[in-house]
Amino acid sequence: MNGVATKKVIGGKLLRVKSVFGERIESVQLTGDFFLHPEDLVSRVEEALVGIPVASSADIFLEAIRRSVSEHGIQLIGIAPEDIASTLLESFRTS
Amino acid sequence: MASINHSQWRVIGLETHDAFMNMALDEACSEAVASGASAPTIRFYQWKPSAVSIGYFQSLEDEVAVSKCVDAGVDIIRRRTGGGAVYHDFDGEITYSILAPENIMPSGITESYHLICGWIVDGLREIGIESEFKPINDIIAVGAGGGKKISGNAQTRRNGVLLQHGTILHDVDVRKMFSLLKVGQEKIADKMIAAVEERVTCVKRLSSVTKDELYEGLLKGFTKGKEWEFGTWSAGELERAKKLVVERYRTDDWGWMR
Repeated sequence: MNGVATKKVIGGKLLRVKSVFGERIESVQLTGDFFLHPEDLVSRVEEALVGIPVASSADIFLEAIRRSVSEHGIQLIGIAPEDIASTLLESFRTS
Repeated sequence: MASINHSQWRVIGLETHDAFMNMALDEACSEAVASGASAPTIRFYQWKPSAVSIGYFQSLEDEVAVSKCVDAGVDIIRRRTGGGAVYHDFDGEITYSILAPENIMPSGITESYHLICGWIVDGLREIGIESEFKPINDIIAVGAGGGKKISGNAQTRRNGVLLQHGTILHDVDVRKMFSLLKVGQEKIADKMIAAVEERVTCVKRLSSVTKDELYEGLLKGFTKGKEWEFGTWSAGELERAKKLVVERYRTDDWGWMR
């Protein structure tokens, strides 16, 4: 199934999450006008979510995003890990 | 090879290229600054044909009315920097790029936006327009400017080099901009245009200053307090830029990356 959800972060930027999933996440794409440094590492955050069961609690997704950001020294500007997690969850509901 | 004085800035004066060459020059210059072959550089440029640039993380399909751009002869390009979709109207704006070793710039991203945007604020002051930096990456015109956005900026740091580029609006045609960019779910285009008009301004609405005079003001603002001289692209930078146009910026792999 395919899902998509969009969030405009107050005082920040716009984030769109596109997800492909069955019982588990198969792929995630983050798009929007945010900044992420180093830019090429956006794929690390997306990949960190692959394989997680869709029925997981919000904390599980948030922890995976935070761990990826921390391990790869990623800096997010205009969006936060919480925004990615909540928008991802929203995307499951729109499929 | 002659040694480069890294405390002296090279300024590439106002020039015009198409979107692909403009972004390729940013990348070629960044490589040259990284290797020490080029001095820290300030460049000013315009886009001909007019163009839409999208941020590194944006979906081209979601942001750009591609067929409208094709019909209007407007180029479409993905930038290496994040941020939003921008319509670069040849008649309406001046774009700048700063390419500098990270070690001569603030290490914090917000601090470096603040510093460079301060040069734009100084430049606008030269032509009688008061403005201020509004985090994350905007400049707003204050006083008569009503707090409306007059400049947008975007930054990337790669291989020890900071690239920040941005536009300063001399004139803005919001209706044209909307015809080229997708505007999401809003169905009432006129309402959206009115909403944008409330948030965006340009030099022409605040002053009778010409685009050439804007450029002269920006040049003063960017070079204030710096050791600098006008320079030109090296043969190596030009050759590398031409290659990058073909190998990256004109390719579907790059443009349609997400």
